[in-house]
Amino acid sequence: MSNTDTAVKNPISTGRRRWNATDLGLIAVFAALVAAAALVPGLAVNGFGVPITFQTLAVMLTGLVLGPGRGFAAVGLYTLLGLAGLPIFSQGRSGLGILAGPSAGYIIAFPIAACVVGWLATIVIRRTTKARALWFFLSAAVTSAVVVHSLGIVGIALNTKATLGQAFLSDLVFYPGDMVKNILAAVIAVALHRAFPDILVRRVRRSAAQPAKA
Amino acid sequence: MPAVTFDRVTVAVETDNTPEPKVLIDAVSLELTEQRIGVIGANGSGKSTVLRLVNGLVQPTAGKVTVDGADTVRNVRTVRRNVGFVFTDPLSQLVMPTGREDVELSLRRSVRNGTERRQAAEAALDRLGLLELADQSIYELSGGERQLMALAAVLAVNPSVLVLDEPSTLLDLRNRELLRRTLAGLDQQIIMSTHDLELALEMDRVLVIEEGEVVFDGGAAAAVDHYRMLCRDGLPAGKPR
Amino acid sequence: MRGHGFLLANYVPGQSFIHRAPLALKFLLVFGCGLASFIVVDWRVSLAVLAGLCGLFLLTGAGLKKLWAAIRPLAAVLLVIGVFQWWMLGAPTAARIVLNILVCVVAASLLTATTPVQRLLDGVVRAAGPFKRFGADPERFALTIAIMLRSIPYIAGTFADVRDSARARGLERNPRALILPVFITSVAFARQTGEALAARGLGEAED
Repeated sequence: MSNTDTAVKNPISTGRRRWNATDLGLIAVFAALVAAAALVPGLAVNGFGVPITFQTLAVMLTGLVLGPGRGFAAVGLYTLLGLAGLPIFSQGRSGLGILAGPSAGYIIAFPIAACVVGWLATIVIRRTTKARALWFFLSAAVTSAVVVHSLGIVGIALNTKATLGQAFLSDLVFYPGDMVKNILAAVIAVALHRAFPDILVRRVRRSAAQPAKA
Repeated sequence: MPAVTFDRVTVAVETDNTPEPKVLIDAVSLELTEQRIGVIGANGSGKSTVLRLVNGLVQPTAGKVTVDGADTVRNVRTVRRNVGFVFTDPLSQLVMPTGREDVELSLRRSVRNGTERRQAAEAALDRLGLLELADQSIYELSGGERQLMALAAVLAVNPSVLVLDEPSTLLDLRNRELLRRTLAGLDQQIIMSTHDLELALEMDRVLVIEEGEVVFDGGAAAAVDHYRMLCRDGLPAGKPR
Repeated sequence: MRGHGFLLANYVPGQSFIHRAPLALKFLLVFGCGLASFIVVDWRVSLAVLAGLCGLFLLTGAGLKKLWAAIRPLAAVLLVIGVFQWWMLGAPTAARIVLNILVCVVAASLLTATTPVQRLLDGVVRAAGPFKRFGADPERFALTIAIMLRSIPYIAGTFADVRDSARARGLERNPRALILPVFITSVAFARQTGEALAARGLGEAED
């Protein structure tokens, strides 16, 4: 099981500084947040009868708030448990069977997206003090276009025998909603960083300032 | 009794609003050897910080805290094995769906064998008379039962010091009494913050904390008097009714 | 308390043969159901499998109520999916899709209803053991999974609160103000949990 491999290694492992209990708590709760967002139908049901969920919002937010390492671990844990059989993918689906379905690309893209957007978020936090919401939004928008949608399209094309063009068109439906969710994710991330100033920012500053042995 | 010592301990945190770090605890030195120690003071006075220092949850910015000679920074693992911590809200402390599972979780580090662990958990629950409630969802328990369950999970690993952060604040009178009796039957050294002055009066020694400093340290009755006076003086003086 | 037993049935003590079956076997059943959901093309097969699993579930002595509690949160979504797929792809396909999801949910509940959490954790620790040499810490990995499972009902509950207050107040309100509390509460909850674990000497890295 190659995916167990990466997920077991990454959540717990080798970073410069080992995660403490609070980090584990954050990883676990954000993984649960992504699961809950995938399961609880959102505010409305759109014209196609497909419930709008907060899932992509939760994935992006996880990266924006936790940063690349813990963000990847949280969303990776969610994906791993879903593939292992816990019914936590959207609409209560689960299992390796997902990888043969049209949403395979999106599922695989989620942990990568959390990592990429988390990496961008640390840059934003280090370099900017103003208009962070805009920068966060741009980070999330770029990540969702480059990672989520492109892998999503590949997944559709591979698993449904549609051409890339057709896949592109069916993926297009998700763009408007995703942009709204990215805006929300950015605004919420700014608020969370304000409510919990040390969740990512001071970590960065402090670990840079701290001598090796306290 | 084990000795908890504070050696000129200062705790300061960075804030966004002020350029200087905010001082929570200011150069406090203490040697705690009595069996029952109470900590009283207003909200935000630094009570919680004092308690968290004992378990290493908060680490001193300057000075050092030791428990039985173990430094809370350098030997934090040893310290946490020896110091059990009970939070105000048991729901934030119980991380498993039932009490029995939570007690077993506590024991995972110390008892590796599954069967032995189950027996140890059984014994720990039995000691506080909680066997009948062990398999119920923690959400179905009363506040007092929950607090006792959290206590059982902490006591399961046999700490030599027990720190309790306002354990009775969320409890009604009857549950308070239940907790009080349970605590009275324990052999551990107990360090407890509380707003319940009756409970404070039963302690061997009471510290009054005000704005990060120990403003009174001594017998329970005198300390409670001092605290009452402090509260009266802090209010706008003598308005006629 | 909201959402207790949400999605996965909680452990019910018992002595049935399913309780006593090896954990690996039960996991294989869950895993197999996940795989089968795309191999099975006939809804009647799915129905038979679902009936079989429900039968097994009842044999454990956990009862219909537990089973329903696990499925209920998904009922509305499944209904919507069913009707939508029926309209798009016809009744047999719709039935197959919905039944396959139910198969997975019941299989997972069968595992969690008959296995104490500590046994599950031991199982994860053992399965993750070989990864120790890459720097993995199976105990902390298992602990993180346990905390995540425990947090899902809690967070789903706060999401539901948000939805309810949206209904009560109408949607013209600022959406940020509506969903922000979910995340603030969740982060605060995560920190409390982390602090409680640290205080108990759990979850910190062992050198």
